[in-house]
Amino acid sequence: AVGPKGIFRVIERSEQWSVGELEPEDFGAIRELSMNPIGDRIISAFFSPGKETVDFASFVRILAHFHPTETSRSRDGVQPEPANSRTRKLKFAFQLYDQDRDGKISREELLQVLRTMLEMQVTEEQLQSIAERAIQEADLDQDDAISFDEFRKVRGVDLIRDQIDNWEY
Amino acid sequence: MPSRTGSHSPAGTGKSLPERGLLLLMVLVLLEGSVLPLGAASSPDISHQKNVDNHKVEHEKNYTKKAFPVLDLDYHHIQTPFEISLWVLLASVMKLGFHMIPRLPGIVPESCLLITVGLLVGGLIKLAGEKVPPVLDSQLFFLCLLPPIILDAGYFLPIRPFMENLGTILMFAVVGTLWNAFFIGGLLYAVCQIQPANPSELHQLEILPCLLFGSIISAVDPVAVLAVFEEIHINELLHILVFGESLLNDAVTVVLYHLFEEYSAAGTVTVLDGFLGIISFLVVSLGGILVGAIYGILTAFTSRFTSHTRVIEPLFVFVYSYMAYLSAEMFHLSGIMALIACGAVMRPYVEANISHKSHTTIKYFLKMWSSVSETLIFIFLGVATVDGPHHWNWTFVTVTVILCLVSRVIGVVGLTCVINKFRIVKLTTKDQFIVAYGGMRGAIAFSLGFLLKKEQFPMREMFLTAIITVIFFTVFVQGMTIKPLVELLAVKKKQEAKRSINEEIHTQFLDHLLTGIEDICGHYGHHHWKDKLNRFNKKYVKKCLIAGERSKEPQLIAFYHKMEMKQAIDLVESGGGVNLPSAVPSTVSMQNIQPKKPPPAKPVEKALPKMTKGREEEIRQILRSNLQKTRQRLRSYNRHTLVADPYEDGFSELLIKKQKMIELEKKIQHMNNYLTVPAAPPDSPTMCRARLASDPQAYSSKPAADRVPTIQVDLASPQSPDSVNLMDEFRRADQQEEDQGLMMKPPSGQSGPNRPREEDRGREQQKMTRCLSDPGPSADEEEEDEPFLP
Repeated sequence: AVGPKGIFRVIERSEQWSVGELEPEDFGAIRELSMNPIGDRIISAFFSPGKETVDFASFVRILAHFHPTETSRSRDGVQPEPANSRTRKLKFAFQLYDQDRDGKISREELLQVLRTMLEMQVTEEQLQSIAERAIQEADLDQDDAISFDEFRKVRGVDLIRDQIDNWEY
Repeated sequence: MPSRTGSHSPAGTGKSLPERGLLLLMVLVLLEGSVLPLGAASSPDISHQKNVDNHKVEHEKNYTKKAFPVLDLDYHHIQTPFEISLWVLLASVMKLGFHMIPRLPGIVPESCLLITVGLLVGGLIKLAGEKVPPVLDSQLFFLCLLPPIILDAGYFLPIRPFMENLGTILMFAVVGTLWNAFFIGGLLYAVCQIQPANPSELHQLEILPCLLFGSIISAVDPVAVLAVFEEIHINELLHILVFGESLLNDAVTVVLYHLFEEYSAAGTVTVLDGFLGIISFLVVSLGGILVGAIYGILTAFTSRFTSHTRVIEPLFVFVYSYMAYLSAEMFHLSGIMALIACGAVMRPYVEANISHKSHTTIKYFLKMWSSVSETLIFIFLGVATVDGPHHWNWTFVTVTVILCLVSRVIGVVGLTCVINKFRIVKLTTKDQFIVAYGGMRGAIAFSLGFLLKKEQFPMREMFLTAIITVIFFTVFVQGMTIKPLVELLAVKKKQEAKRSINEEIHTQFLDHLLTGIEDICGHYGHHHWKDKLNRFNKKYVKKCLIAGERSKEPQLIAFYHKMEMKQAIDLVESGGGVNLPSAVPSTVSMQNIQPKKPPPAKPVEKALPKMTKGREEEIRQILRSNLQKTRQRLRSYNRHTLVADPYEDGFSELLIKKQKMIELEKKIQHMNNYLTVPAAPPDSPTMCRARLASDPQAYSSKPAADRVPTIQVDLASPQSPDSVNLMDEFRRADQQEEDQGLMMKPPSGQSGPNRPREEDRGREQQKMTRCLSDPGPSADEEEEDEPFLP
């Protein structure tokens, strides 16, 4: 959860960077993040589509997704009901998969994610079969893509919810 | 005893199954009880025999020729192993019997029934005037009966939930047990001192023996918890909380037990002793874990080299683990924690190294041994109850029982208040109730009590009686009522679903995500360290401990392969064979179909159209004749070769075929609806090769991917020479596979005269190579009914 402590740390770091706004390169300075397979996706998630920089307010707003559900103070005026907050968290995760923001995780997008996570250690066919299977399991309306609703219904995504909730500062 | 085997004849006509089973049980129990007096009765024979021998030796001249004993009863010779086997047999037959009785297993947990049986048998033995085998006090319990159960628990411990809740578990285990021990011990002492009027023996009870008693009885018992919780299918969190607590409190129990035992002679415990006790606790627990981890790594390392001697792979797992236990016990460290650490550490590496068969062997041996051990423990508990010297003291016993309950409830509630401050997913009242109610005592407490020496502890019998009462209370009352209570309170049950690939993907994704967020914020939290550990593991440890290619295999792929294997096994077992989709409309032509996303150069999978009857018959004939030929050849027998399992050998074929069939059926339904086909399933030969290559079993050396037998039949021409095509495929595959040593010989269809020759050559080679160790697949499989054709 992004409690007060977390924000202070962020402020500490951002003081080194250009005043007021963050750019993708600033994120790249974080060493561990560059080692993270989905590091660039996370970075790009902070920036709204089209914008080159992110200001502090939006930055914190996004980090607020990871606040525990009960005490989350929503900054967007959305009511802080548990369902909504959870939904927002899941939506955030979903958007990390869904790079083109069309509301569905297509097979290609899933393949991209798998490729980055598995870091080139597998053959293309293996990736294809895994993606195929994942879509088969999740795809309820047979459109060969995973929509947000299907994503939520996937057996095991509840565990993700618990994981997000369990994640604490 | 021949009558025994006779009574094992399968239940059939006449009485219904449960009644027959019950009758069998009665007969067996009676036999059991009667064997032991028989054993005693036969010993005079031996002494008599000895006398005769002596006479024979001394007075050779007066040698009277006796008739040569054609049939002789020499029970003494085999007494010990025979009795052990008898007990094991009794235990197992009891287990069988319970499940034959209708409705009973649902109401009464198995542990209760077993204790009852133990009571019966103990009663019988006592009636016969025999001495009960002193099992629960001797080393037999701690050295033979307990380790299998703990190893089973440790090897299959679900690591992720365990680690996630480790803080909570440790709190319950350490602080909770300490609280229990001191509360019970202290209050017992206080109660004992109260009785002013009658000068009861309770006054003689000092504080230290009381505390010792408290420490013995406070520990939650893993065996009892396992026995009961397994049947109520509670959700994973609660299960791991109670079970983890029962495992980890062993260290506390060991330290407290030894501490109080040592110093109850001295009479006082100083602060220094207390301090030493704390240090001792750390040494005991961490030392135990360290010992276990070392042995675990040794096992993993050894398993790296077992690719040529697959037969003894399970042995390494068992022996190393047992040695870990013994080594820990040698230093008075916590043997249970050593076993858990050993099993948990070795598992990921060993599973990557050993063959599929060894994995199955390990799994089932562990389950079998732990099941038998558990059964025996409960039966002996019942027997020892009947036998053991008892000293019933109303006050002591009732106060103990009440105190146990009270202290458990207070402990759990109090600790939860503290713990919930640190947990995000808080423990609700329902959870707390189940955790408190699930704190069962069991045989470990009894054995520890039994081990006390009478000279040091004159109240030993009273202790034992109280311990047994508590055990009976928890197992019977709590064990029987927990299931209805779980239903009543609507506690969340275990999700029966298996892990899906989606879950795996998303979990990993989320781990990365959360690690990334942590990195952004500069916070070195839980995920950060987990990530670091994973990296270290991948970079260094896996390279050392996993053989060959698999050291580089990412977790997701390994998981995926496991899933595929499982699915293939399920399909074979349920479908009963390859089921060709006979309803393929032959008018559908592949030219009409546009794939949505053109995949990069894949072979297009097509369906196997229906074969004509005549062709089928022909094929059957050919197969039959060639199979007969196989049977007549003599094979050399070698004890070390493992006979092929019919299900497992046709595996890759069935795997491929099945997958294609299923996916194809789906696609064909799609085609019927939409006339579009999504991207073809990636069951290309390369995929198969990758799949097979990841299995270290010797589906070895497939030099080129395209030689893997693939079914490629042209859909557009349904009347194509399909059977011949199949034959061609396998013929081709056979030809190439002949050159390699250890290989899988697919169930070869043959047509044509040139086949037998190739086949013979293949068989020759196989005959030679069969003498090498497992990989199992041998020509023997052809004798079994391979589900090749419907």
